[in-house]
Amino acid sequence: MKRTLQRSWLIFIVALAFLGGLGYFTFLLLTNSSDWVDQAYNGHISGSGGLEQAGAVYDRNGNILAQTVDGERVYNQDQATREALLHVVGDNSLNISTAVQSMYRSQLVGYNFIWGVGMPDSLKTKNDIKLTVDAETCKAAYEALGDRSGACVIYNYKTGEVICSVSTKAYDPQAPPEITEENQEEYKGVYLDHVLSSTYIPGSVFKIVTAAAAIENIPDIDTRVFHCSGSEEIGGSDVTCMEVHGDITFKESMAYSCNIVYAELAVELGEEKMTAMAEKMGINSSYTISGVETAKGHYDVSKANKNQLAWSGVGQYDDMVNPMQMAVICGAIANGGTTKTPYIIDDATSFFTKLGITLPGTENDKIVSPSTAEKLKEMMRYTMSDYYGDNLFGGLTVCAKTGTGETGDDKEPNAWMVGFSTDEDCPLAFAAVVENGGIGFYNAGPVAEAAMIQAAKSLGASAVQ
Amino acid sequence: MTVIMDIAVVALRILLPVYAVVIVYQCYASMRRRRRPEKPLVMLHNEVTDLKIPVLFWENSLGRSKRSDIFVDDPAVSRNHCVLLRRKEGWFINDTDSKTGTFVNGKETEGRTQVYIDDKITVGYSTFTFKRGEEFHEKLGPTWFFSRVSDKPAIKPYKLLLLITLFHLFMSVEACYTNEVKNYEPMMVFACLAAVEWLFFFVSTVVLKRINFELESLALFLTGMGVMLLVRQELRSAYVQLIAAVGGMILFCVIIKVIENPDRIAKFRLFLMILAVCLLGVSIVFGKISYGAANWISIGGISIQPSEFVKIIYILVGASSLDVMQTKKNLIEFILFSAVCVGGLALMGDFGTALIFFATFLLMAFMRSGDWKTVVLAVSAAVFGSTIVLKFKPYIANRFKIWGHAMEHPQDDGFQMARVLTYIASGGLFGVGIGNGCLKYVFASESDLVFGIVAEELGVIVAFTVAIAIAALIIYARSVTTRSRSTFYSVTACCAAGLLVIQMSLNIFGATDILPLTGVTLPFISLGGSSMMSCWGLIAFIKAADERTYAVKS
Repeated sequence: MKRTLQRSWLIFIVALAFLGGLGYFTFLLLTNSSDWVDQAYNGHISGSGGLEQAGAVYDRNGNILAQTVDGERVYNQDQATREALLHVVGDNSLNISTAVQSMYRSQLVGYNFIWGVGMPDSLKTKNDIKLTVDAETCKAAYEALGDRSGACVIYNYKTGEVICSVSTKAYDPQAPPEITEENQEEYKGVYLDHVLSSTYIPGSVFKIVTAAAAIENIPDIDTRVFHCSGSEEIGGSDVTCMEVHGDITFKESMAYSCNIVYAELAVELGEEKMTAMAEKMGINSSYTISGVETAKGHYDVSKANKNQLAWSGVGQYDDMVNPMQMAVICGAIANGGTTKTPYIIDDATSFFTKLGITLPGTENDKIVSPSTAEKLKEMMRYTMSDYYGDNLFGGLTVCAKTGTGETGDDKEPNAWMVGFSTDEDCPLAFAAVVENGGIGFYNAGPVAEAAMIQAAKSLGASAVQ
Repeated sequence: MTVIMDIAVVALRILLPVYAVVIVYQCYASMRRRRRPEKPLVMLHNEVTDLKIPVLFWENSLGRSKRSDIFVDDPAVSRNHCVLLRRKEGWFINDTDSKTGTFVNGKETEGRTQVYIDDKITVGYSTFTFKRGEEFHEKLGPTWFFSRVSDKPAIKPYKLLLLITLFHLFMSVEACYTNEVKNYEPMMVFACLAAVEWLFFFVSTVVLKRINFELESLALFLTGMGVMLLVRQELRSAYVQLIAAVGGMILFCVIIKVIENPDRIAKFRLFLMILAVCLLGVSIVFGKISYGAANWISIGGISIQPSEFVKIIYILVGASSLDVMQTKKNLIEFILFSAVCVGGLALMGDFGTALIFFATFLLMAFMRSGDWKTVVLAVSAAVFGSTIVLKFKPYIANRFKIWGHAMEHPQDDGFQMARVLTYIASGGLFGVGIGNGCLKYVFASESDLVFGIVAEELGVIVAFTVAIAIAALIIYARSVTTRSRSTFYSVTACCAAGLLVIQMSLNIFGATDILPLTGVTLPFISLGGSSMMSCWGLIAFIKAADERTYAVKS
């Protein structure tokens, strides 16, 4: 019998393995439970269900963007504001999966680890969420975008607060459309927040990346004189430019957006250095903005021939970038080469910070050296002051770059404008894109202009008073 | 008004977990009570050296090996010389292939030979006089599980059952008042459940005159919880489950009766093996393939899962009394039988059950032989076998692929596990209340994913309490090992407990994406008649190992 007893310790291994598994599961539950709850399929919080008792969503000035009144979810009283903030706030459904009402629905409806989501409605404690966005600015950007599809984002590159984030097309969350086979063309991509989840052909805004690579790798870049005759054969096919620029310096090349210069630079730098800079600037990676991962851009010239490599330096070939990513790059240039990751949920609500979900704006990445950043800033400032003209942004001192991303297929190109203001009391970086909008300056320019001026006003910047 | 109702509902939800912990604690606390004091049953007295050896167990190995129950330091004694065992008829001694033989009163023994008080037992050069246990005066320390043992039950059996019935009543009250449906159907189920519980109690204590009821109480607690959870999922299943539980209780009593004499099974071993192989064969030939595994057969509209009953036979066949075990007559036979069972289950595609059998085989083989080589050999054979399985059954390999990543595939391969995790987290510590869960709409939630339902509707505390209550069967089964009336009971109890815990682990960790999903049931809770009956059958082994089971109320 004693021997049997001694041998029976083997079943303790079973018991120990079980307890180990249970412990591991407890650990997973403690660390992941709110992620597990925040799922589109979760019957307890999905549908319009769950929001009947949810907390309110405010903008940075305390304007109500969404709240529950007598069991009904109501959004901002102004229709344009509602539509402008659709992709940030979300609607009753979970269709816009990156919106605050989808991502943080469990917190809004009062989920916590101890009580789950199962409290009877009358006893639920709700949580309000305050956002960093400014409703007025978003409305201005939304109206400037009009009925075109596109995106506009502005954030404070010193603090990381997102001031404006607008994606079009949008609809009224108060009266969401029923999307059927007939109208699905009209509402194509309407559930995507283009600021976070879409990528576009960048065109000339990508020249910022090529310029950064050139500054860091070619010592005599400032003294060089390039020559543009409107078109040049590289690698067997032509690279064309919009104009014939003749002799042109590196500094001028950005202002005049000369394709020839950047095509030549891309070839001279070669696959390795171009890819290294694109990686360093985060083109192929994503940022996490208050829990939402941005879409990754795309720069891959591993299979490109010489001509394609040349075009990749101009932001064509198969380059893709995400609007938020471009804004972050601009913000980093303004900030001496270091990024400040944007966030959209106000830290003051601190509910999330307490739960350790994200510590906004704390992840810093050095994407270019301070001297490179300074040089890029100078070039983008020159582009603005000498080429586009400073009157565009009121009294703000803006550094910018436009882009016209050729999409082929007889469609209009993507219009881009990215940049930042250097005003001490208005440190904002922006990116505006209009899908198939046409020439960058004429189409994305006004969107950026409207949004930036309103943002500066809302922040009380002295330049626009 | 609704606020008052809601507060009452929430109060009930908080009450249930606390209550569940109390019940499980009381069940185990009672298991320690009403034990006979630790004193020798008989004594061997070497009159030459005046050495008095207490004989503590019902079956004792005698030999030169230090780990023998009766250690005899005599070079002429074999390492495992013989076995001294007690049966209803008295004490017997059985020589287990020793070199020098065993003599009683100078006559060489053959097979089991009865010994009486004052008989002379001779092994090697040593002769012992067989004396009464009372003549041994030294004190013996109790083992830890039975320390501070009291003769009074921790709680009177009927009170414990009353606590459990009340728990089920609270569950049914909660089920009456769900968010969507509010009616009194659950009360009807509760009435039937309570009737079954108390009828079983009556049969056990009055008809069968058993003094203890805590293991049955624990099983009833779990069974009733499973039944009440089904009420708001599918009312009809709740009744079916209850009927199956009654079947299980009958099986429980029958098995205890059948193995009353631990030597009886030895005669039927071959018959049982053939029966098991036939049952598996029937399911292979006539089995309905459902979701990859052909483990169901349908007889007259009732579908049964023969592999569940093979579990009981498997454990019966594997164990034997100490004297048989020491002669190692049938280990090869048992290994072959195990291989046939595991192979048959693999053929059916029921890899979860195959894994349970295999793990139980390891336990059984090790407890019988103490031989590491067998274990290592078997594990390597199994690893080899499973690589072949993965090659030919791509859907199994698929489960491995998403294992640990279910949340990343919530719409395809990780569908079930992702929902289990989401709804466990949604339930919080105290649950969303019976009938308010969402997991119940997911396929197989009442069986494979039932742990998720328990956690979602009753809360994580209850779910963990249930899991730990089942896991604690191992500690209980092991603590009664040396107090069993035969190694047959010790081995079957430990293996049955091990089997149940392995099965539970596969179920819980499969559903929560910690292990690949294998589709086995959670003992006593999952819906499934065959599974319910086999669980009751398996705890019969644990019950039989308890020395108090065959003792009659005085």
